[in-house]
Amino acid sequence: MSDTAIKVEGLAKLYKIGAPKSSSLRESIARKFSFLSRDKEEASSTDYWALQDVSFEIKRGEAVGIIGKNGAGKSTLLKILSRITEPTKGRIEINGRVASLLEVGTGFHPELSGRENVFLNGTILGMTRREIKAKFDEIVDFSGVEKFIDTPVKFYSSGMYVRLAFAVAAHLEPEILIIDEVLAVGDAEFQKKCLGKMSEVAGQGRTVIFVSHDMQAVSRLVSSCVYLKQGVIVAKGEKNKMINKYLEDINPGKNELAYVDPILENKPKITAIKLETSKPGNFHVNADCLKVWVNISIPYRIKKTCITLQVKDNRGIACLDFSYFDTKLVCSDAGTYQLECVFPSFRLYMGRYTITAYFAEPPGGEFFQQIENVCPFEVVMYGATRGDWEWQPYTTIYTEEYNWYIAESSTILIPNTN
Amino acid sequence: MQKLIIDASKKSISINTKELFTYKDLFVILAYRDLRVRYAQTFLGLLWAVIQPLFTLLIFVLVFGKAIKIDTGGVPYPIFALSGLSAWTYFAFVMNQAGNSIVGAQNMIQKIYFPRLIIPLSKAVVGLVDFIVTLLFMAGLMLWYQFAPSHNLFFLPLFILLTIIAALGIGIWLSALTIRYRDFQHIVPFMVQIGLYATPIAYPASIVPSEYQLLYHINPMAGVVEGFRWSITGGSSLEAVAYVSFGVAIVLFISSLFYFRKVERVMADIV
Repeated sequence: MSDTAIKVEGLAKLYKIGAPKSSSLRESIARKFSFLSRDKEEASSTDYWALQDVSFEIKRGEAVGIIGKNGAGKSTLLKILSRITEPTKGRIEINGRVASLLEVGTGFHPELSGRENVFLNGTILGMTRREIKAKFDEIVDFSGVEKFIDTPVKFYSSGMYVRLAFAVAAHLEPEILIIDEVLAVGDAEFQKKCLGKMSEVAGQGRTVIFVSHDMQAVSRLVSSCVYLKQGVIVAKGEKNKMINKYLEDINPGKNELAYVDPILENKPKITAIKLETSKPGNFHVNADCLKVWVNISIPYRIKKTCITLQVKDNRGIACLDFSYFDTKLVCSDAGTYQLECVFPSFRLYMGRYTITAYFAEPPGGEFFQQIENVCPFEVVMYGATRGDWEWQPYTTIYTEEYNWYIAESSTILIPNTN
Repeated sequence: MQKLIIDASKKSISINTKELFTYKDLFVILAYRDLRVRYAQTFLGLLWAVIQPLFTLLIFVLVFGKAIKIDTGGVPYPIFALSGLSAWTYFAFVMNQAGNSIVGAQNMIQKIYFPRLIIPLSKAVVGLVDFIVTLLFMAGLMLWYQFAPSHNLFFLPLFILLTIIAALGIGIWLSALTIRYRDFQHIVPFMVQIGLYATPIAYPASIVPSEYQLLYHINPMAGVVEGFRWSITGGSSLEAVAYVSFGVAIVLFISSLFYFRKVERVMADIV
């Protein structure tokens, strides 16, 4: 028995764009007889190759991400792998029972009760009646809507609806699971539950194909990636390399994101602020080394250079303050200087941040400049796991290194209640 | 371990009956869904299955039974008309439902794989419930008129099967055609309306002039309705020309499967 789960060779898919999806009968007849009319009909459609010469192999038990921008052909590839549409060229070999999740709740009918919809949706997803019966209680438990299981789902809140739909999907037990960005729906807690369930599936030695442009989820769920760009595989391999490549591509103007301002003859000022993040495209992985450069130009001697930088998150909350006071007066004379600040381990929590900078003399002196919200960057948690409960936005502002120990005897004094 | 090979260079046109069978649960539950939804939140529920044909029957009784006085060969006119009408109502329902079924299931088709044929096929089951209710009503009518069914009743299942085949044959053709040409959505109600009079429901087929008999029986339901009525009310045996209808029904059904198979390939892209 081979250990290949999916093998794709020379896959291509052609779409005719501009061609009417479903034409009218009259047009179709007219087209059939168009040779009768003398004027040449212009080609009403152009060929569009959504995928071209795509080949890859996925081993059994492997979790693979398919990444790429919108229109890169991810969804087309997914549709072909889940047999919704047929390829124009190429060959696919699939070993094992496949379940594909392109959305949750496919086929749900509002008039039917939750119970009936569980059976309906489960059957549509490829479970047999017996399998659903065996897992029914588990599904209902997971969804948390047991009280309303015999109520038509049209009376459900949208949250209940999605929970029930996902509960069914979560109990699929295929050998190969194909997942689209269904996780993009629902609240943070729900997304967390989905991701948790999916990494569980991946951990059980099943083959998982995960399509997404959420790099956080990709970095967690998969071990390698196929990077698609305009229907062609540009790279495939270890996930971090692929993620880096993708980030570089989506944010090519890295230097443009640095702050630059021309020198003035008569006024001291900050002429540039630049960050060196650990990932391309101004993405920074939490706890990696971060470097910040600040260029200043001073046309005349000032009392003392005082630079303060603040990192603010996207809610405008200042999370970090780092300042330089030129106590040794090495850069307070006329001239241009570059200051470098190195954080060996930059520990701000995941989120989007900007820099706000101030340039002044000490209190009582002159205030030269204030620059707000420049150098946007994003901190991500790639590669870092938090155990059973996933990272969630805004649960903290920064992270710290720590260790837990189980003490041999209690060192905390317990007050005597007697 | 299940092994599947998709090869763009080898397009098979065979109908995978084995695969259809593995999806039998889906077939059952789709039919169940439609049935549940059909009479959900209605006050009269299943009674609606009888009310519609009942009113058509009433008009037929008044126009053809009382005013024109059609010769039914001794069969009470309501029984004569209803025997044809019940088969026709089932046929029209399944043809219509199956015809629109694929367009109606667009969302499912674009999100998940399953043999698409399940969708129109399941409509045949949905119609059967209404059909049975109408037949029960028919039985009641026969009791009322103290009309004993003929020994031909033995053949009734055969004609029910032929009705299903005729309805599915046209229904599957329409479902595949409607994907490309939405025109057919407008044609179907038209076909049902004309068919009601172009089929021997209100009158016997024998009143059609003999030179038009062959043309008349190209309508698959012409022969099927006659056979259906013959098995309930008896009378002289079926004309040979009725077999033309049976042939048309079977040919339509088989060809529909192949055409559907052909369209199935691109269904998700063009629906």
